[in-house]
Formats: sequence, structure tokens, C-alpha cells
Amino acid sequence: MNRLILQQGTTDLLQDFPHITEWAKLKVQHVQLNSFEVSSKTGIRVGLISEGKYDWNINGQGYTLYPGDVFLVFPWQKMGSPKGILEIGALTWIELQLNIFEASGALQLGNWSNIPESDQRVMGKIITMNQNPVLAKFTVAAGIFQEIEHELLQQEMGYRTRVNHLLDELFISTVRHLSKTENFRRDFPQIFLKLEQTLRENLNHAWTVEEMAGLVGLGISAFTEKVKGFTGFSPLHYLINLRIAEAIKLLRQTNRSLTDIALSTGFYSSQHFSSTFKKLTGYTPRDYRKTQ
Amino acid sequence: MECILTVDINTSSVRIHAFDLTGQVLGMRKGSYPTFHPQADYSEQDPEQVFITTLYVLKNFLNEVIHPQKFKVKAICFCAAMHSVLAVDKNGRPLGNAIIWADNRGIKQAKLLKNSQECTQIYEASGTPIHPMSPLIKIAWMSQQDPERFAQAYKFISLKEYVLLQLTGEYLLDQSIASSTGMFDIHQLKWHTKALEFAGITPDRLSTPVSIFFDEVGLKKEYSKSLGLSSATKLIIGSSDGCSATLGSGNIAAEKATVTLASSGAVRVASKEILVDKSQRFFNYLLAEDYYISGGPTNNVGVVFDWFTQQFGSFDPRQDLEQVKEELLREAIQVSAGAKGLLFLPYLLGERAPIWNANARGVYFGLNITHGQKHLLRATVEGILFEVYSIGKLLAEHRNFSSISLTGSYASVPLFAQILTDIFGLPIHANTSVDNVALGTALIGLTGMNYFKNLNESSSNLPVTETYLPNAQNHDLYMRYFEIFERLSTKLEPDFELITALQ
Repeated sequence: MNRLILQQGTTDLLQDFPHITEWAKLKVQHVQLNSFEVSSKTGIRVGLISEGKYDWNINGQGYTLYPGDVFLVFPWQKMGSPKGILEIGALTWIELQLNIFEASGALQLGNWSNIPESDQRVMGKIITMNQNPVLAKFTVAAGIFQEIEHELLQQEMGYRTRVNHLLDELFISTVRHLSKTENFRRDFPQIFLKLEQTLRENLNHAWTVEEMAGLVGLGISAFTEKVKGFTGFSPLHYLINLRIAEAIKLLRQTNRSLTDIALSTGFYSSQHFSSTFKKLTGYTPRDYRKTQ
Repeated sequence: MECILTVDINTSSVRIHAFDLTGQVLGMRKGSYPTFHPQADYSEQDPEQVFITTLYVLKNFLNEVIHPQKFKVKAICFCAAMHSVLAVDKNGRPLGNAIIWADNRGIKQAKLLKNSQECTQIYEASGTPIHPMSPLIKIAWMSQQDPERFAQAYKFISLKEYVLLQLTGEYLLDQSIASSTGMFDIHQLKWHTKALEFAGITPDRLSTPVSIFFDEVGLKKEYSKSLGLSSATKLIIGSSDGCSATLGSGNIAAEKATVTLASSGAVRVASKEILVDKSQRFFNYLLAEDYYISGGPTNNVGVVFDWFTQQFGSFDPRQDLEQVKEELLREAIQVSAGAKGLLFLPYLLGERAPIWNANARGVYFGLNITHGQKHLLRATVEGILFEVYSIGKLLAEHRNFSSISLTGSYASVPLFAQILTDIFGLPIHANTSVDNVALGTALIGLTGMNYFKNLNESSSNLPVTETYLPNAQNHDLYMRYFEIFERLSTKLEPDFELITALQ
């Protein structure tokens, strides 16, 4: 079996990359017993199958991985072969330590990354919203893995920067792949319906157009254009619609305070809520409540 | 310049148009809201969102288009999709979501009524087919399956009534919408006792229907003020979308049928007489001035073509659904009529008129080894239109019509229009320069304000932007296919039931 396993602390090749816990590239020619038990690690694992067929248990569910499949396993998820074996084939993976990464979507890659914090927040949401740890037809991943290997081993001029760039590349490509797969062949009305549901379930969040566009895998201008064409509203105006509709329900059906209603429907303050409400309806929220 | 606004509260969006007093469009805005499917067969909408969206679009339209050009709004006339039901408490607060026309939860209740003694009486009095779409069935469902909400409900109203309630503070229901609830006696113009009994309610739990020209209630002054409208601006209650579309597509006194091809579709005729069908396959809705709009609806038009595009269209990663649809339409024109002997039954969503079978399903019939994707494509379009024709053919046994007015989003798709012309063997006219539902609503408003003597006058001399003439050869060919289409649609009834049991 050909194997290249770099582990943090046991090799010089990773000393400039404390965030890389492990890099492995394996060609398995005989079935290996007791070599791939189901376990979780402290970092996030991203890997690629190049040859062979792997029957694994990831996060409590069984998956079969084929050449070209990429797996994405979170720190709190267990992965491995239920029989503890590593089947014949070839695969590569990397395990990364992230500063912050939680099931809620909170994500902070680390100082090594050049991705802006705001983008990382949206990326974290998209990655954790995805329920499938096996990404099929994620073809660009193979190239990225190859380049990472080359840089780590050859250590040519500028390799430290390159490796971190490639890790950013891997994350960005993964997020784009996730949002595009969600939307493949979906028409915009269906795509928008799903987004709408997410907005309704998280109405108290201060959504930006960038975040909404990122969730459906579109660039900001394409997203804004499509939303305007479909709903008749710009994304932020549509959001105000949702907020006010929900607020009206709360005003009429509960005794909750105006501030409470304002904040839970995503307004900055009861002042902001009042002025938006009055502008649209001609009533202040207080007066509207009185008319009911 | 003076203008009239029309507010059309439809299934996927509210559309607001401005017309001058001769019926020319001055501008339009729309705003959409979602339909929820909390369970299979359920279709619901959030009444607050529908109301807020309406208000928001109205406000934006007035501020961005109407006021800057100093148009004077003389009246706002309303229109809405039929068959919606919303329970409200004594404060007019919604109890849950509104249930819309597409909802099918009342299948059992509809079956119960169909098999009962009262069935024929109720159908003939109300003019609405006994089907889960109708509010009669939905309220009956609620009384049996949602008794808590049913008991709490002070009134059962439609989405249109809810929006008007918010805007005016009063419960306002027009006779057109009332006549599509399945509970309104369209001969005697009052609520039908036996129908209400079946629904489990008394008349006080419904609004009192008024004429579509009713204009005695205005906007609440807070809304007038915030919208920048004069207190003299009239609010005209208006009609339902089916009636508006028929009026807006041409002379209601002429011998013509109106075909709507949108996500769903319908074939309708207007006349002063109620259409009586022993098999209860048609609706009769009230317009006004003794005009009834009669016809049959179909579930399977745009929705089915969208389905085909999604499943079988070839998607370049950068293309969206609309672009792939355009490509498919171009491809379909190249395939000869009849798709080389391939027939399609389009009943992907069950079907309403004329077979009224919720278990009906789609079928590609006659496949041989030389058929390819393009034949399936062509057969799909033809199948959709054969179904529309099947409604028209049945209607023609009761009413004469020598031409057809085409409305809806597919009115501007030449392939659909031409095939439909060939199938019917009748000329087809379309006015694609304006939304016919909005135009019909404007005509109702203008007639109500006496700018026209009556509806007949208002709808004569409407422009025609496209005319399609039938090809006799194609017509003969299509009739041979239609014969098989018709036979299969009824012959497969027992098989439809068997297969849906497996779904």
C-alpha cells in the first residue's frame, strides 16, 4: 500500500500549518482490517475518493462512496467503516482545526484564512445547513487536493501562502457546490420558496442581501434581479413585508410589548419598528392595536 | 388625468394596474406571496402577508407612478381568485391560514355530498361543482376535522373579504365570489339552506353578498391618508378573476368562448342563461346584469409544461427554467402534428373538468422505438391542449361559439395558440397588450361609475393583437388523436384508481 500520511507534530512538512492536523493520501491494495473504525475527530475532515468503493457510516447513517465523491465530516460527527476496514482503492483527505465551528453555523476558520469574517458567517450557515456529507460530482476538488499535495511536498518558493490560499479555495468551492446542487434544475419560484422558509424561521436575524444571495448560491446582482422579477420587491423590501406581516399577527393576537415584537421580527428597535409600520400602514403599532 | 386602479388578488401575487377612463393601461406593479403545503393536498396562504403585500404594492405604485404624474385616482376596483376560505374570530382576527382553491383536503366530504340526496339540488342551486375546491366542502371539512377552530370562528370569509375588511373595517362580499362558494343560490340570490346545513353553519357566519358594483364603503381614513388618496376616491368591490377574465377578453354578448391558459386553465362562455348539465360537469358563476359565466376548469396547463421542462429539458448550468422553456418551445415547433402517433394524457394533478377525477394520472400512450425526446415534448403540449379542447367540446353541446378569445400567460406563446386553433377548428383572438383580468376589473369599475352604459358596451371593441386561423388538415388529424384521447380518459378510470392506491 502506498501511503503518505502527514500528522501534525510528527513531521516538519506541517510545521508552518498548525491548523492542518493531518494530511493523508492512500492507495489501498489489500483490505486493511482494524484500520478505519468509526470515530470523530477534533477537526473538520474533507476527503476525496479516487478509486474503489467505500461503505461508511457517517453521522449515524450508511453511505457508499464512489470515485469522484467528496466527503465533508464535521468535528462532532463520527465517521468510519462499520466493519473497521479500509477497502481497496485510493483516497485522500485533510483534517483541519478551525478556531470556531459549531452546529449553529458559527464559523471562524483562523488567521491563516483570507476570507472576510462576514463571508465566513454565511459560509458557516450554508455548510451546516447541508445534510449530506457526501458531495457527488464535486469535480474541482480533485485538482485542489493535488495542488495542496504538491505545495506541501515540494515546498517551492511561496508555498506557505499557496497552501493557505488553496485551503480557502477548497472552502469556497465547497460552499458554491453546496448551494448550486441545492438549486440544480430548480426554478426560481421553488428556490425562493425555500429561502423564504429560512427567512421566516429566522426573522429576528438582520439578514443582508449578501447572506440571502449566498444561501441560494447566486451572486448579489443576479439574486436581486431575480427576486425583483419574481416577487415584485427588492430582497430587503420583501423582507420588510415578512417582518410587518408577522408583527401584525403578534400585535393582534398577543399582549407582547412593542419592543418585544420589534426585536423578535428583526427590527433594530421599537422606534425603527414604529416608523416602518407607520410609513406602510398609516397607523402607529400602538394605535393599530387599539383598533383591534 | 383621471384614472382607476384595479387590485387583483390572485393565487401567486397581487397585481395592481392603473387605467385611464377609456381603458388604456397607465402602469402596473405586482407583489408575490407564497402558498404553503404543510401536508400533501393542503394549500394555504397567510392572510396577513396577502394584506400587507397588497398595501405595500399599492403604496409603492401610488408613490412611484401615480402621484408623481399627478394622476387623480377616481376609484379602486377589486378582483380575486375564487374559492378561498378563512375563519376569523369576532374581532376579525384570522384563525390560522386561509385555505385556497388548490387545496384538496376535503376529498371525503366531497364524496359524501356527491353520494347524498342533496347533491343535485345543491349543485343546481349554487352552480358550483361538488369538489374539494369549493368553500362549502372546506367548511364542512373544518366542522368535522378541525372542530376547535370551527367553533371559534365568528365568520368564514374569503381572502378578498379579509383584505377589504382590513382596508375598510367592514365585511364586504360580492355576488361573483359568493356564487363560487358552493353555498349561494344563484337563482334566488341568497344563501342556500341545504348547502349551509351540509357545511354545518348558519347565514350569520357568512357575509351578505352585494352587487359587484357596490361602492358605498370607502377606505379607512388612516389608509386614505397614508396612501395619499382623496376621501372622494371610491372603492368598488368588483368580481372574481374568472368573471373579470371573460369580460376583459371581449364582448360578452358575442358567440365566443374564453380560454385561459396559465398555470392552470379554464374554458368559459358568458350568457344570460344558466348552463344545466345533468352530469354536473360545469360551473355557473354570477357576473352581473343577469350574465352568468359558465364553464370548466383544468389543473394541468402551465404546471405540466413546467414539469416537463424540469424533468426533460437539458439544463446548461447557467440557464434558468424560463430559458430552457423557450428552447423547448422552439424545438416543439419542428415536430409535426401528432408527434408521430404519440398521445399524452396530462392528468398529473388529477383533473377537474370534464372528467372530475382526482385519481386521474398522466399517460404517454403509443410509444414505439422511433420516438424520441422531441416527440414526448410535442405530445405533452398537444395533450395539454386536447384536455382544454375536451372542456370546450362539452361546452359546445350547450352553447354555440364561433371563435375563441385566448387569455393567460400562454396566450402569448404562438405554438400553444396555433395548436389550439387547429384542434378546435375555430379562429382564436388574443389581446396580449394588457392583462385581461385587470382590464375586465377596470371595465367593471368604469361601468359602475357610469362611464359605460353596461358591461356589454364596456367590453365591445376591445383590441385584438393576434389572430390565429385553423388549418383544416391539422384539425382532421387532431380529431383522430382526440378520439383516442377521449376514450382513454374514461376507459382508464378503474386503472387510475388502482395506480393511485400505489402512490
